[in-house]
Amino acid sequence: MHPLFELQNIRQHYHDRTVLDIASLRLEAGHIYALTGPNGAGKSTLLRLLAFLEEPTAGRLFFCGEQVRFSSRTALLNLRRRVVLVDQHPVAFSTTVAKNVEFGLKIRKMAKKQRQRLVAEVLDTVGLSQYCHGPANELSGGETQRLALARALAIQPEVLLCDEPTANVDVPNQHIILDVLSQINHKHSSSIIFTTHDQKQAEALAQHGLHLERGCLEYHNAA
Amino acid sequence: MSFFIQSFVAANQLIWSMDAELLNIVLVSLSVSGLATVAASVVGIPAGFFLAYRRLPGKRIYITLLNTLLALPTVVIGLFVYVFISRRGVFGSLGLLYTQKAIIIGQFILIVPLITALTIAAISRVDERYRNTAKTLGANAWQTALVVLREGRFGIAAAVISAFGRVISEIGISMMLGGNIKGYTRTMTTAMALEYDKGSFTLAIALGLVLMAISLLVNILFQLVQGRSGA
Repeated sequence: MHPLFELQNIRQHYHDRTVLDIASLRLEAGHIYALTGPNGAGKSTLLRLLAFLEEPTAGRLFFCGEQVRFSSRTALLNLRRRVVLVDQHPVAFSTTVAKNVEFGLKIRKMAKKQRQRLVAEVLDTVGLSQYCHGPANELSGGETQRLALARALAIQPEVLLCDEPTANVDVPNQHIILDVLSQINHKHSSSIIFTTHDQKQAEALAQHGLHLERGCLEYHNAA
Repeated sequence: MSFFIQSFVAANQLIWSMDAELLNIVLVSLSVSGLATVAASVVGIPAGFFLAYRRLPGKRIYITLLNTLLALPTVVIGLFVYVFISRRGVFGSLGLLYTQKAIIIGQFILIVPLITALTIAAISRVDERYRNTAKTLGANAWQTALVVLREGRFGIAAAVISAFGRVISEIGISMMLGGNIKGYTRTMTTAMALEYDKGSFTLAIALGLVLMAISLLVNILFQLVQGRSGA
């Protein structure tokens, strides 16, 4: 069976600076990975590569056994519809909370009734049902983080990438987010890769730990 | 001073009595400037969006050229268009000179750079994360562009309002290309200039008041739109 992601000699440069240099890495499907490392270690860059939002400067990236062709728009679009990245500082589209969650479903041409049912279900999961028809840009930081998670969950991705999902939220919101991540891994067997600075959080949630230092993978083991 | 007060009172009476000539002038001004704004928006918004959204070689040069065009005097545009549409011009046979169409063409040239430049500013202000969020949620290139356009919509609306404010109050183009023909190409500004020349201030002041009222309305709208965009 093919691994979910396979990285071979992946390197990423910004101008003359090497921000990521990974000789080899295999990530298996259905697992939760915690990606740790100091600021500037390359965690967010790795997530953007895995989300197919950036093309590596060098190396090969495989997804489910197939090499990712960054030159093909159609191929990238198909891959992006299977993997979702939730940003560290997410933005809400300037519309209602429900329409934010509906976005991914609408572009996939899902029927209206099914969309509405899924939106209600997902908002309930993240505890934002009461704001359903309210303006999304009036939510607090923690609520916006939960909205971003809801937006990603609605499309039921095979892989969920979260960049420091609990870094800028209060303790109650942290618990909600971690519970949701754990739930969707169990319920839908979604693979989750998240970055964190909190070692305890990494150990509590993830089955595997990855540690980056100055763009290089220092260790890769069970958390 | 009493002369001014008398003219001011008479002008007010003219407005409240809905004087036919005054109404006609206001309607010509609104329709000509309105059409010029619509046409310029159809060209300027996509052009501005394209320049802001795409990574183009020489982008800064285009933007510098656009910003230069913002300072183009109305008389220069009037002269330029006149050369093309006068009897001896390339488009002389079309009979455009001293028509409302001629004013619309001139005003269109005046505000296309303005709408384009302000659209570039509005789209450039849209956070890069909106584009990435749309992409990661599975949006294709068009859907991603629409997300960015939607997030910049208040800035774009402000650009259009600002352009309308610019053309409704210009005089050089209307005078040179429209010819100030009564009931046909006489706009508020050209009528005011004529009344001033005649030394008859009543209609000029009445039109001035209407123009100020329109300008106030446009600015209120502009402030409301800017407030919604958070600017």
